[in-house]
Amino acid sequence: MAEKAILYDATKCTACRGCQIACKQWNENDEVIPTEENGVKAKNWGSYENPADLSPTTWLKMRFTEVEAGGNVRWLFTRQACMHCTDAGCVRVCPNGSLYHDELGFVAYNKDTCTGCGYCIDACPFSIPRSERNIITGIAKMDKCTFCTTQGLNRIDAGWEPACVKTCPPGALKYGDRAALVAEGKQRVQTLQAKGWTKANLYGENELDGLHVLYVLDDSPAVYGLPVSPQISAATIAWKDVIQPVGWTVGGLAIIGLGLNWLVARANIKKEAKK
Amino acid sequence: MTHHEVEKYRKPIRVLHWIHAGAFVLLFLTGLILFIPGLGFLAEDSWTRVIHRIGAAIFIIIPIIYLVINPASVGRGLKLAFTWNKDDTGWIKALPRYYFTGDESSMPPQGEMNTGQKLWWLIVIVFGVIFVITGLAMAFAKTSAPPAVLQWMVFVHDVSFIVAGAMFFVHIYNGVVHPLFNEAWSAITGGKVSAEYAKKHHAKWYAEVSTGKENKA
Repeated sequence: MAEKAILYDATKCTACRGCQIACKQWNENDEVIPTEENGVKAKNWGSYENPADLSPTTWLKMRFTEVEAGGNVRWLFTRQACMHCTDAGCVRVCPNGSLYHDELGFVAYNKDTCTGCGYCIDACPFSIPRSERNIITGIAKMDKCTFCTTQGLNRIDAGWEPACVKTCPPGALKYGDRAALVAEGKQRVQTLQAKGWTKANLYGENELDGLHVLYVLDDSPAVYGLPVSPQISAATIAWKDVIQPVGWTVGGLAIIGLGLNWLVARANIKKEAKK
Repeated sequence: MTHHEVEKYRKPIRVLHWIHAGAFVLLFLTGLILFIPGLGFLAEDSWTRVIHRIGAAIFIIIPIIYLVINPASVGRGLKLAFTWNKDDTGWIKALPRYYFTGDESSMPPQGEMNTGQKLWWLIVIVFGVIFVITGLAMAFAKTSAPPAVLQWMVFVHDVSFIVAGAMFFVHIYNGVVHPLFNEAWSAITGGKVSAEYAKKHHAKWYAEVSTGKENKA
């Protein structure tokens, strides 16, 4: 099947955060509403951004950035959610394959089999996965954007768009075949550049072998708080591609070596006995 | 009595050994299933992590209790692990010959622990400390430490797992599986070995014991 993707156009986004709400509503991720009664008080932390961070029940969130450009303040909005990388750090480190790529290219996961090790949280170049972790027992489950493919709530299988795309009023989010969206994104970038946004670019076409969430940006990704050149960390590669095979080799050689010695020792004992 | 025996390990040492060994086996097995993708399903819902943490608590607390009860013994044990001399290099040089032919005649006389046992004891101390430091960081700094730090903690924890795990196989083999090593087993279970065994395998130590100059671990 052709790979699918979401195209997010930051230049059209009004930060209404309808996508955040639609994501929560569709995926049944309730948020604690701060009240005096439940003791959770809303705090002003100097931003309209709300909530302050992603969480196991907040898979999508708009990030607000204020930048100064040519004496003017620009208020930039970015989508913060799983980028569904082709070369995904989380999939690499997941010890039992709970995280995997589905046939449309998205990074899906099986929450039932998640061991809660949290390796994916540390391996994600975009710092997206979250878990609620009991600090004493270590019991945890990872959660992140499922591209609306959660079992029983699968919009993609039903032939619908993801909830965030469906709700977006200014049309800043689009869902479709990845190849078509890459072409559309490039065209939009050209349009922006023609209008004088010389730094406009399409983010995600080649990053980590291609993201399944593409961004049209009017400035460098760094300005939007995105890693300019996202990489699989050295620790991920060292752990997965060095330590794991080395572990198997060392363990295997130790057992073979001991087994051989056992045969030698037995043969020697028999020899002694004959004397 | 014609069969003369000497005490190798006092009872507190043996209790310490077996509780610590039990904790290590728990930690080893619950850690191993995160290393084998095919067994990963056993770790679902984090319950192996709970066992891993119980094992870790025992692994940390038991040596500390022993340290409080008998600090002098711990001091002697540490000194033993870090004292290496020409008899140890001689032992290592003679090891390949022993491995392939079973001939131990070229091995220099050994103390209370032979070089191999001492190497394992050193690994237990050094990697035990590394396991505890990296493990505590993974357990309690999971939500506060930078991701890169946590990733390298996992890396170091797993390097220790490979080194200590492979040597653990050797330890089990020598203690239980090897056709000739049955008296090392009786030393750590009942505490005693025969005088002949002590003379043959731990000559330096036997000389100390028989002249009453011994320093019991």
